[in-house]
Amino acid sequence: MPKVSIIIPTHNRPRLLRRAINSARASGSEVEIVVVDDASSDETAETCRSISDITYVRVDRNQGVAGARNIGLVASRGEYVSFLDDDDQRLPGSVNKQIEALEKNPDAVMIYGQAIPEDPSGTRHQPYPAECPQGDIFWELLTRNFVPCGSAVFRRECLSRVGLLDEGISGIDDWDLWVRIAEIFSIAAFETPVMIWRQPTRTSAQGSSCTVELIEQGRRRFRQRWLKLPRLTSATQDRQREAWRSFSNNVSEHLVWEAFSALGKFELRYAGKSALTALRLHPTALIDLLRRWTSASTLDILLTSTRTRGELANAKAHFKRIRSSRT
Amino acid sequence: MPRVSVIIPTFERPHLLARVVASARAAGADVEVIVIDDASTDETAAVCRDLPEINYVRVERNQGVAGARNIGIMVSTGKYIAFLDDDDLRLPGSLGLQVEALEAHPEAGFVCGAMIMADQELHPNGDVVRPRQSGSDAFWELLELDFPVMPLCTLIRKECFLRAGLLNRHISGVDDWDIFTRIAELYPVLVIETPVGIYRQPTPVSGQGSSARAAQLRVAARHQLKLLRLPRAAAAPFRQRRASRKRMMNRISENLLWTALTQYLPHGRLRPAYANISIALSLAPLSVVRPGPYKKLARNLLTKMRLMKA
Repeated sequence: MPKVSIIIPTHNRPRLLRRAINSARASGSEVEIVVVDDASSDETAETCRSISDITYVRVDRNQGVAGARNIGLVASRGEYVSFLDDDDQRLPGSVNKQIEALEKNPDAVMIYGQAIPEDPSGTRHQPYPAECPQGDIFWELLTRNFVPCGSAVFRRECLSRVGLLDEGISGIDDWDLWVRIAEIFSIAAFETPVMIWRQPTRTSAQGSSCTVELIEQGRRRFRQRWLKLPRLTSATQDRQREAWRSFSNNVSEHLVWEAFSALGKFELRYAGKSALTALRLHPTALIDLLRRWTSASTLDILLTSTRTRGELANAKAHFKRIRSSRT
Repeated sequence: MPRVSVIIPTFERPHLLARVVASARAAGADVEVIVIDDASTDETAAVCRDLPEINYVRVERNQGVAGARNIGIMVSTGKYIAFLDDDDLRLPGSLGLQVEALEAHPEAGFVCGAMIMADQELHPNGDVVRPRQSGSDAFWELLELDFPVMPLCTLIRKECFLRAGLLNRHISGVDDWDIFTRIAELYPVLVIETPVGIYRQPTPVSGQGSSARAAQLRVAARHQLKLLRLPRAAAAPFRQRRASRKRMMNRISENLLWTALTQYLPHGRLRPAYANISIALSLAPLSVVRPGPYKKLARNLLTKMRLMKA
């Protein structure tokens, strides 16, 4: 029986796939590579048949990334499981090292690492995430997804305890799984780059290119499912509110950043869409953001003054000062 | 004989487990029994620890029947998969029969057998539901809900799930109909006439998943639109698809009306009757004026009167 199964879902990208498979093979010993061909209509099948010692699973009806990963789980046998996207690469020996670290830490069921983002042009950036929190990271994960999907190696048994991936939310299915795992189990981190992560662009037709849609989906998931997780329902009201606030702050920050970067590339429509989504979804978070960015004491005081009487007095004094300085 | 994995999802019904596990083991030669405990909070875990030679899988967060079955498929090692609910029973030797049928027809995706209907205490009430030998194409019959197939009476090749996908967790209650239709789109379907299982018929108050029939039928009606987009259906002429849709709507609303007329109204249960009739109306507005259910009702009354005379 293989020790670790690396599951590579793929759809119509035979050229990139070969690179991903080679990198997966070099990443560890006793590796079982399972390629799930999600109803590709090109020469993916021939490419895979020409590569020896991989398990090739042909899915005849397109299932989406999450469904394909689930099928890979059914078709694989390894004690440990890792997902790899067909356009990403594993670094040599990385899976071995991660398993070694995970076995030293019997409490943890999963270990993740850093990813080196790479532009389609080939330039590489600083490893992400810069800091890797570990242990009980449930609350951090609720706020943002800092676990690059391909960098995680987890024990198969933990999947049967929290359930498989959700096919209905392809794109954030991995985030949802990390949240569900972190709710119950401890997660270890390996603060070294373990993979190369090809950055999506809006034209690269990767699943993750439509950030705005993904964000809306994530928001829906937060409200409909995550808020109902036993760990959250048993937490205090303040804790719940805090979780929601940091989630929405993070989301709106992301959207605003997205809008600015689109503006820089003169993609006006996309910029407008991002900004409007931010405004529509999280108006309060956006004000919070403006406050932090402008750090204008006036705005700050205006916003906080309504809360207590003492602050109101402060605000009055502040405006008096402004007026007197003008005259 | 290849191995069969019997997947038994269970939720807080520990008293039924020993019986169903024993029936699964007696149903075939090489049977792997997988009990998926879908986050029960009672003594299910303790009961399972005492059951010999089962693969007990504990799920910490409730996944619903479809999600639990998917987990079962993931941990299974057999070539064939059988689903068994914790309140139903498999008949001795039935898995062996079905394995033989699938081995003899390697092109088929799954095989269904007949079911013995039983009451809440699992005493047979005399009815046996036999799958009709499918006329030409089981796919279209399944698509129109015209091919009664229950998870209990089927044996499925595991590779079907790799080609057609796993069960859909978002349509609980009709996930089995969905997966059988998707498999039948790719594979021929086998039928054997022998009974293979005992089905505990749900009553409106038994708290079984299938009690909420009206709601399920509404989900099925919506989901059929998705199934009609499967390549084989999409390739069919528009007329055929429209006719299929129409037959399905009529069948569902007739079924709902029939239930309302015979089970709810005579017992004065107005609320479910109202729910059924309004769903029937929303699906097929003309269904109330269609003669089907009334004819059936009249026929039933006549036979009853004749019986009373005799």
